[in-house]
Amino acid sequence: MIMLAYGLITGMLFGFLLQKGRVLRFDKQIGALRLIDLTIFKFMGTNVIVAMIGIYLLKDLGLVQLDLLPTVLGKNIIGGLIFGVGWAVLGYCPGTAGGAAGEGRWDAVFGALGMVAAAVIMAELYSAAAPAASSGWGNFGKITLPQALGVNHWFVIAFFLTMYLVIFRWVEKRGK
Amino acid sequence: MQRTADGGWNPYFAGALGGLLLTLSVWFAGMYFSASNAFVRTAGILEKLVGPERAAGMDYFTKYVPKIDWEWMFVIGIFLGSLVSSTTSGSFLLKAVPDMWQQRFGPSRVKRDTFAFLGGMIIMFGARLSGG
Repeated sequence: MIMLAYGLITGMLFGFLLQKGRVLRFDKQIGALRLIDLTIFKFMGTNVIVAMIGIYLLKDLGLVQLDLLPTVLGKNIIGGLIFGVGWAVLGYCPGTAGGAAGEGRWDAVFGALGMVAAAVIMAELYSAAAPAASSGWGNFGKITLPQALGVNHWFVIAFFLTMYLVIFRWVEKRGK
Repeated sequence: MQRTADGGWNPYFAGALGGLLLTLSVWFAGMYFSASNAFVRTAGILEKLVGPERAAGMDYFTKYVPKIDWEWMFVIGIFLGSLVSSTTSGSFLLKAVPDMWQQRFGPSRVKRDTFAFLGGMIIMFGARLSGG
């Protein structure tokens, strides 16, 4: 019960921030994919950088654990490419479709219905297709980038922080 | 703080607060942000309503148990948070066809809703295949 309350409160705060950041709208999402309005990359990039530092800091203090999904290159790459096509057609992702509906965007409701429909179809086909889907090319298991490279995680964090600062300084100079 | 042209917050500032929220969520609830499982669980809940015995025998719903969990409430919360933020700031707008879509594909609602539905299907296939 307490977890459901955590989920609702966290979602409400995140939905509030997504709406304030103006990242829920079709024109912003497709604008980013067309590289004409980079608002959502600014939001996502900063979100990732802050959380990366915060979570690894807490991990070093022994307060949190990482929760990794396995890296399976074949499935990750093909699934990612399909996800990108769907994102470009819909203009919202699974997380933001509900938020877009919350600020009055009706088309997001149809997107969410499509997502549920796809989940129903996959559930129906799962037993037959599971053997094919479970074979994974490039399976590295549950691994982090610092583990794969064999370096201290703060080197990797410093690298991404530097990249973030260089890229978004350039973006701001270009005024996108 | 300086507002953007459309009345929004600076996206770096809002994103940084989002990162702080994620850090606190991992700390206090042990939960990382994700959304796509919620749609699978919704599908399972619907299948259970239509045919409980059939749904109970489906492997997929043994793996993704049809129940309301943290992630499901998180997705509902995003809807509510956006509703609160937009209605209290005058930026709520009932809109069926996005501007950029209309410029390229015209004002048809049926066309937009059809492609939104198809796009939603494709995005969920991709998300589940990649494991996200």
